[in-house]
Amino acid sequence: MDWQAARVSLTLAVCTAALLLPLGVGLARWLATTPWRGRPVIEALLMLPLLLPPTVIGFYLLITLGQGAPLGAWLASQLNLRLVFSFEGLLLSSVLVNLPFMVQPLQRAFAAIPGSLREAAWVCGLSPWRTFWKIELPLAWPGLVAGVALTMAHTLGEFGVVLMVGGNIGGETKTLSIAIYDRVQAFDMDAAHVMALALVLASLCALAFVFAADKVRPLQER
Amino acid sequence: MLQVIVKNKSPIRLNAEFDCANGELLALVGPSGSGKSSVLRAIAGLLKNTSLQGRISVGRRPEDIWFDSERRIRQPPQQRRVGLVFQSYALFPHLTAIENVALAAHPEKATAYFDQLFERMGLTGLQRRRPSQLSGGQQQRVALARALAREPQVLLLDEPFSAVDAPTRQTLYRELAALRQNVSIPMVLVTHDLHEARRLADRVVILDGGESLQVGPPAKVFASPRNARVAELVGIQNHFQGRFFSNTPADAPGFGRLEWHAEDSKNSRISLSVVDKNRLQDGAEVSWVVAGELIDLSLQNSPQAANTVACTLSEVLPLGEISLCTLVPLQLPSQRFMLNLSSAILRQLRAAPGALLYLHIPSEAVHIMPVRQA
Repeated sequence: MDWQAARVSLTLAVCTAALLLPLGVGLARWLATTPWRGRPVIEALLMLPLLLPPTVIGFYLLITLGQGAPLGAWLASQLNLRLVFSFEGLLLSSVLVNLPFMVQPLQRAFAAIPGSLREAAWVCGLSPWRTFWKIELPLAWPGLVAGVALTMAHTLGEFGVVLMVGGNIGGETKTLSIAIYDRVQAFDMDAAHVMALALVLASLCALAFVFAADKVRPLQER
Repeated sequence: MLQVIVKNKSPIRLNAEFDCANGELLALVGPSGSGKSSVLRAIAGLLKNTSLQGRISVGRRPEDIWFDSERRIRQPPQQRRVGLVFQSYALFPHLTAIENVALAAHPEKATAYFDQLFERMGLTGLQRRRPSQLSGGQQQRVALARALAREPQVLLLDEPFSAVDAPTRQTLYRELAALRQNVSIPMVLVTHDLHEARRLADRVVILDGGESLQVGPPAKVFASPRNARVAELVGIQNHFQGRFFSNTPADAPGFGRLEWHAEDSKNSRISLSVVDKNRLQDGAEVSWVVAGELIDLSLQNSPQAANTVACTLSEVLPLGEISLCTLVPLQLPSQRFMLNLSSAILRQLRAAPGALLYLHIPSEAVHIMPVRQA
C-alpha cells in the first residue's frame, strides 16, 4: 500500500467535496428554481465532464493552465500560482470534473421541493435566506449526502485527468489510481491488489451512503 | 377592511375589485382557471408579476398599503401580515406540528401561547407529531393554526376543504363557523363549490376569466344573477331565453310581459306576467331564470292564477327526501324545468312519470337579465 498516494487521494477527495459543496448547492438551487430560458445550455455544460474522455478534459486544462498559455502565465506571474503538475492544479481540475456528480443529485433534490412550501415559508415571514436554511436545505439533505459521497468516490478513482494535469509526483499529485498503474507496470501485483481493493471498498461505501440517503425522504413525510 | 383592486393583462388576465370587512367571510367563486387563486396570491404578494396594476390595502396606515402600482408600493410577502392556508396545506414535512406553527409566530411567543392555540384548534396532544402522522383534517387545523399564529391582518383560505373527506369537511365547516366568533379580521375563501360558498360566506364574488362579475350576499346572487354568465356559473338550472315587453295598459301596473320562446321553435311561445323594473327596453332579448323553490304545482288547472304552465312530468330521480323532477312544457317541448320536489308531495299528488302537472310561477320568482354582449 502506497500510504503517501492514499493520503494525496484522500486529501484531494475531501478538498474537492469541500470546495464543490457550496458551489454545487448554489448552482443546483439556481438551476432547480430559475425559469431562465438559457438554463439548458448551462445544464449541458455541467454534464459535459460525464461524457468527455477524462484525457480530453485533462488535455484542455493542461494547455489552458500551462505557463505557455496566457491564463497560466498570468496566474504564475501575478499570483505565483502554478496549476500544472501541482496539487492546487489537481484540485481545480477535480472540482471541474466532479461538477455533475455534485450538482445532479442536489438539483433533483431542490427541484422536488414543492414551490408551495417555499411560498408558505415566505408568508410565515421567513426571508429567502432563512427559508433556504430552515426549509430547503433540510429537505434537500439526501441530495447533499449523495452529492458529497459521489464526488468523493469519483475523485478517489479519477485517473485520466489526474495523470494529464498532475503528472505523477509522489506526495504531491500521485494518487492511488496512479499508484496502482505504477505498480502494475512494475509487475508488483500484490501492492496493486491491496490498493485496488481499497478503492473498490471506498466506492461501495459511497454508493451505500447514496442509497441510504435516498431511502430517507424528508419530503415524503407528509 | 381589506380592499382589493387588481388588474393584469398577461399571463393571467385579472380584473377584480372587491372589499372585505373585518369579521366578514368573502368567498371567491368561479370555475377552474377563473383566476380566484391568482387573486388570493396577489393579496399575499406571491404573484410574481411586474405588470400587475391596482391597489391592495388592509387599513389607513402607510404600512397597511400592501400594493399600489401607481405609488410603486409592492411589499414582499414577508412584510404583509397574511395568514394563508394553502390548498395542499403546505406544512413543512420535516418539522413537527408545533415547529410548523412556531415558525410563523413572533419569536418571543412562549410555549403557553402555542398550547392555547393548539387547544383552541382541537389539536392538544398532537404538538410533537410530524404532518405525515396527522390525518387530513388535523393537517388542515395545523395549517390554520400556523396561519393564525402570525396574528394576521387578513386570513386567506385557498380551497381548504377540497382535500378532506365529506364527514371531515362537515366538521371543518362547523369549526370555521366557530372560529369566526373569535376572529375579527377579513377572511377570503377561494372555492369552486357553490354550496360551500353559500353555506359559509357572508358575500360571494363570482369570478370568470379573472373578472369579478358580481359581488353580493349568496342568496341575492343566486336568486338574481346579474347576467346570463353569472346564472350559468352559479349553476342555475332553470335558465331560459325570451323577449321582454314593458308595461302596457293591458298589464297590471308595475308588470310587464315575458314571451318565453325556444331557439328552435320561435312560433310557439308562453307568455308570462313579470315585474317591470323599468330597466329593460321594450322588446329586448333577455335570458331569465326562475327560483325553483318559489314554484307551486297542482294537478288541476286554475285559470284565475297567473303564469300557469301545463307540463308533462317526464322523469323523476328519487334522491331520498327530495326527488329531482324534469318537467316539459306542453307548448315548448324542447324546454325543461328541473325542480327539486319533496318526495312526500309527489306521493300525495300521486305524480308518476307521464302525469300532467300545472306549474304556477309567481311573477317575483322570475329574474330577467339582459343578454350580455361580448
